[in-house]
Amino acid sequence: MTSRWHEPESPGLQVERTTLAWLRTSLAFVVGLLLIVRFVAHHSALLAAIGITVALPAALLVAALAARRFRHSLWSLPTHDTLPDGALPAGVAALGLVVGSCGVAYVLLN
Amino acid sequence: MDSQRHEPDRADRRWPRRLYRQGVEPDARFTLANERTFLAWLRTSLALMAAGVAVEALAAATGGSNVLRTILALALLGAGILCSIGAFARWFATELALRTGRPLPAPRLAPVLGVGLAVVGAATCVLLLTYGV
Repeated sequence: MTSRWHEPESPGLQVERTTLAWLRTSLAFVVGLLLIVRFVAHHSALLAAIGITVALPAALLVAALAARRFRHSLWSLPTHDTLPDGALPAGVAALGLVVGSCGVAYVLLN
Repeated sequence: MDSQRHEPDRADRRWPRRLYRQGVEPDARFTLANERTFLAWLRTSLALMAAGVAVEALAAATGGSNVLRTILALALLGAGILCSIGAFARWFATELALRTGRPLPAPRLAPVLGVGLAVVGAATCVLLLTYGV
């Protein structure tokens, strides 16, 4: 009988770690956006409002989609079905560009 | 865990199609690890952007804006934007390498970022010594 410590870990733990990484990332987005909005509000209420109404729900949507991705991944493991695709990674990378553009706008407004 | 099935009709439903039309399904653990690496790069990009905004906010707080500070803020924001683009490009290249059984791509952005951050650190020291906080 082999010791349980030498068994490979459950792939379910990999999915869990990945989902936590998604949630950390969406949290970082929310904090980053609030920081930028806080500073931008001094110069342009409109830009701050755009940041809040567009990017913040988008960051929260990422968290919701990550939860759905978690379920999809977990179901696909035992059946050898395909894992989720690259649409959400592309989406958050695009969201990163939006945040960066807001930051550049803030610097140029100053 | 290693599924070697390749079904074109299923591949066509997944995006980007250019990626999923090639090779076979890799071990799910490698795909998930690639995703986590992508997310780590994205968080790095967000940290750089936050640093850029913070540098500019310091200028607003102390009342004195100068060219070096603006350049520093824009450089940090530019590095953050570059990291966002690079993160997805690297995720794509790594996933493609996993699917086709080729060696993983070298991290081109990491050394550039390392040197870049050293320059930013030096510039920040100059700012602090010249203008104070």
